[in-house]
Amino acid sequence: MSGLKKGAAAWRTRLLSTGATLLGLLVLTFFIGRVMPIDPVLAIVGPDADVSTYQQVQAQLGLDRPLLVQFGHYIGELAQGNLGTSLLTGNAVSDDIARVFPATVELATLAIVVGTALGVPLGVFAASRRGRLGDHAVRVISLAGHSTPVFWFAMMGLLVFYAWLGWAGGSGRIALAFDGAIPRVTGLLLVDTLWSGNWDAFASSVQHIVLPACILGLHSMAYISRMTRSFMLAQLSQEYILAARVKGLSEAAVIWRHAFRNILVQLLTIVALAYGGLLEGAVLIETVFAWPGFGQYLTNSLLLGDMNSVMGCVLLVGIIFVTLNLISDALYQVFDPRMH
Amino acid sequence: MHFANLFKWLSLALALAISAAPAQAATPRDQLVIGMNMNNLLSLDPAGATGNDVLGVVANLYDYLVELDPHDLTIVKPALAEKWEIAPDRNSITLTLRDGVRFKSGRLLTAHDAAWSLHRVLKLNLAMASPWKSYGFSKTNAEQLITAPDARTLRIALPEPTDPKMVLYTLGTSVSSAILDRDTVLAHQKNGDLGAAWLLTHAAGSGPFVLTEWRAKDAMLLDRYDGYWRGPAKLRRVVMRHVPESLSLRFMIDRGDVDLAAGMAAPDIEALKHDGRVVVQPVKRGNTYYVALSLKDARYADKRVRLALRKLIDYDGINQAIMPHYGVAHQRPVMSGLAATLPDPGYKLDVAGARKLLAEAGYPNGFRTTIRVLSDPPMINIATALQATLAQAGIDASILPGTGNQVYGSMRDRKFEIVVGRGGGGVEPHPHANLRAMVYNPDNRDEARLTNFQGWRTSFHHDAINRLIEQAVRERDDATQLAMYREVQQLYDSEVGAIQPIAQMVDTVVLSRRVHGYVGHPSATTLLRDVYKE
Amino acid sequence: MLNTAMSQPPAAPASPSASATSAAVAESAASALRDSVRRALHHLLRNPMTLAGLVVVVLLVTVALCAPWVATHDPLRQDLYATLQAPGAAHWFGTDEYGRDTFSRLVYGARTTLYIVALVTVVVGPIGLAVGAASGYFGGWIDTLFMRITDIFISFPSLVLALAFVAALGPGLEHAVIAIALTAWPPIARLARAETRSLRKADFIAAVQLQGASPLRILVRHIAPLCLSSVLVRLTMNMASIILTAAGLGFLGLGSQPPSPEWGAMISAGRRYMMECWWLVAMPGAAIMLVSLAFNLLGDGLRDIFDPRS
Repeated sequence: MSGLKKGAAAWRTRLLSTGATLLGLLVLTFFIGRVMPIDPVLAIVGPDADVSTYQQVQAQLGLDRPLLVQFGHYIGELAQGNLGTSLLTGNAVSDDIARVFPATVELATLAIVVGTALGVPLGVFAASRRGRLGDHAVRVISLAGHSTPVFWFAMMGLLVFYAWLGWAGGSGRIALAFDGAIPRVTGLLLVDTLWSGNWDAFASSVQHIVLPACILGLHSMAYISRMTRSFMLAQLSQEYILAARVKGLSEAAVIWRHAFRNILVQLLTIVALAYGGLLEGAVLIETVFAWPGFGQYLTNSLLLGDMNSVMGCVLLVGIIFVTLNLISDALYQVFDPRMH
Repeated sequence: MHFANLFKWLSLALALAISAAPAQAATPRDQLVIGMNMNNLLSLDPAGATGNDVLGVVANLYDYLVELDPHDLTIVKPALAEKWEIAPDRNSITLTLRDGVRFKSGRLLTAHDAAWSLHRVLKLNLAMASPWKSYGFSKTNAEQLITAPDARTLRIALPEPTDPKMVLYTLGTSVSSAILDRDTVLAHQKNGDLGAAWLLTHAAGSGPFVLTEWRAKDAMLLDRYDGYWRGPAKLRRVVMRHVPESLSLRFMIDRGDVDLAAGMAAPDIEALKHDGRVVVQPVKRGNTYYVALSLKDARYADKRVRLALRKLIDYDGINQAIMPHYGVAHQRPVMSGLAATLPDPGYKLDVAGARKLLAEAGYPNGFRTTIRVLSDPPMINIATALQATLAQAGIDASILPGTGNQVYGSMRDRKFEIVVGRGGGGVEPHPHANLRAMVYNPDNRDEARLTNFQGWRTSFHHDAINRLIEQAVRERDDATQLAMYREVQQLYDSEVGAIQPIAQMVDTVVLSRRVHGYVGHPSATTLLRDVYKE
Repeated sequence: MLNTAMSQPPAAPASPSASATSAAVAESAASALRDSVRRALHHLLRNPMTLAGLVVVVLLVTVALCAPWVATHDPLRQDLYATLQAPGAAHWFGTDEYGRDTFSRLVYGARTTLYIVALVTVVVGPIGLAVGAASGYFGGWIDTLFMRITDIFISFPSLVLALAFVAALGPGLEHAVIAIALTAWPPIARLARAETRSLRKADFIAAVQLQGASPLRILVRHIAPLCLSSVLVRLTMNMASIILTAAGLGFLGLGSQPPSPEWGAMISAGRRYMMECWWLVAMPGAAIMLVSLAFNLLGDGLRDIFDPRS
């Protein structure tokens, strides 16, 4: 009984500290934002505005009040679930984010699928061929994928697969012909097009997502394959594997039915962490592919000084990262007490 | 082997994805698809929307009282106003509006809507009130000066003597001159904001198109308004697509996925020149790319140093290597093509001459300085080239790239040494538009904070030039006015003004050959009502 | 970009070599270091991939140091009438949009890359080590405070944090380096903390404490050297991601400013001409890839050596 209580208490403190972390994140961002020499007022009024217009707009946006007052106001609004209004577009930040976030989620999810589908088999392969040519080859391939600047990769991909071969769709999430024709259900185009039964639209959205997802996926492939390899090696050196081999089981059975099964949970946590990492890698990909997603939104807001949007984005990303870390730590705690 | 199966499955999935491709269809015949960078489209409110991109949108959602002929900007053509009359004392303009124009909402457009739209601009005092404030209008006098004696007559009384042609130009080119549907806008008003919040993302006009949907930084859809007073446009729909990467845009126009590509980078335009499926259309604009010095800096307050810097710009090299498709060589502070504009004085790179001047001024070994510039081409390229030529005379310049806010922000605060930028007014095709924005500086004190004048920002203050600018715009005799503007340019040359133009801006648009009737407008108010595709 | 993630899972640290008498404690720590270095070199020479990585890194350092002799032209000299020339005899890798020689810029760019890597390492290594070791050794509120701070930094995607800092400080190479360093130190601190916490209870530490050594002395002379190997491994692996983040910042226009030749900025500038002038993007891109790969291989190899589990 006391063990459970202790566990619950530990989780309570954990959640409290998470809350503190998020608050610290907000303070940091807020401070950066107000200290930045990027002036959102100028973006709105234009560089040739006179002083009276400038001051008027500044007051309208509440940017002339002292820093602490502004922060207090923001936290107050946040407590009521209001993320504020974008300084530049006038839209509610929550609306903006709800619009752009699914695009990135779609991209990152597909990328993680690609990364896992390639990375896991490669990692298992490398583990089974440890020290030999296969192992080295896999290492170089996956590391090469991770070492290539993702924006360069993206440009080359666009050049080869769109401009020269015409296999992949161009920029954006779907062909222009379908613009506005798909009713928004989840915001994930692959899902929405299937939902509406429009097969051509579905095919078009697949075409458009394939290239950026693969490139992004290749990046996480390296990490996933390395981790898989290292987990598999740890398993393969255990006694029960030796016992299985002595029993006469085939190598394939040993690898897949025994060793691999046991690393699935660890893999899950790794994939979760890689997923979080993809959310930021998407920033560069979204720029090259004009993908109207979260990364692009954050970068533009940052460069134009639209701090309300940036704060909202940071909060969201912070929550995601923290959640993913919590999940992975929880899974570790449950399944591998040795790591505590 | 298990792996073989896996790889087979993966390649099957890939093949499926590729084969699912429908044949690349060209864009529909009744739709014009425009690819552009929509990052600067922040608001559609005619009272507050800044930037060049919004001009093209507003010009097609709304009507103006007059229009300027794209082939000769000084020709003013009737639009909502059938005719107009400038009072003999030049203190007022009376416009007669035509009958039978309906807004999208179905209401008839009257002079009351026109007057209200202009009042609104001044009352809100946002960015687009500037041209009107420059004529002396304000939120207190707007309602008395701009009146609608009856439903078809609009009377604009000028608070200060000025050239009425300027006011007409503003009525034809400025976003603020769009005529709004007063009742519809007021119906969406919140807290007495005169519809400002609603108009950020909506439109209430009488133009040939209506706003169907706008997803910020993604796409904008305009549909044809069949009740347009000139008759329905030929296109059923205009789609604007956000394509921030010039390279992607180039692929798209090459493959026919867009019909019109705007704002592409010079190397991509250059490559498309040889593409038989597209046409490259350059349109000259009124603003210039320039190098600006701050006379607050003791070094640049010295005329010899300014003259040396003028000689350290490689005009020919820059215009030959960097400016194609971005601009055309131009060295005068007044835009090219106007009667008053003098021919270029022929400045050239002259390192030896510059070194001599610097030595005379007391800097034989040069000095260190900073160049603030926007990170975008061609400005950053001009700055980089400038850095190299300055180095030849011993001037060690470090480049501080930034966004528009940062660069122009520091200019407005008078905290800069050198800025390479783009601007200089010139929305109205009149020398006054350029000179007022670039040179005029009636009060050089820091406290005056005339941040809307580049002359003030650069601390360039010259009494004779100021007086000439003030008098010329009031001058009734055309020939005398011309002579005055010429004198200003000559004075500016001999006094070595703070801002040295290098090239006049050119906006290059790439069109598919299927598009007809597209005439790029130098004031960015390109009309799409007559565009059609074959 | 996967700063936190690109590493082994929270690991059981390598067991320290315990020594019998306290007098030989310091010496055994030093000899342990010597042993591991010798072992490292031995393994290095036997692993071809790691060796290849080492060779490339050495090549990078050499080229960077000997840049004036390796480069064929002045990397800053412009010739606006000879822009965008294809690779040829006069210019081995062609010229860029200002007529500057690409090969020479690539060579001097190695200096910039080395500068970034060195500066970030010099900032991140000691700070991360110091914060982590102190945090792990003293525990209590110091530990909680430091861990809270690192949590905040880790919860931020590194590119975004770097972006925010550069946006706040203004573009420029030094600012980009500071921004990257600020995002790269938390994982090092975490690692050092984990190692310190397990070391803190070891016998030989207790022995030195009994001798009356001050905490500072213990940290500097005993704990830090033992954490060094894992920290070095992690730093090496991170260098690749540092280079890529710097290139990414340069690509977004926030890295080094003209006219200095930084590989990421060269790609960013060159991508406008990419279709016709492939060399502007291919060369710096290949250089980044090669150097990142080398650091990754090297770090991978070092980890194989120092962590007996994999």
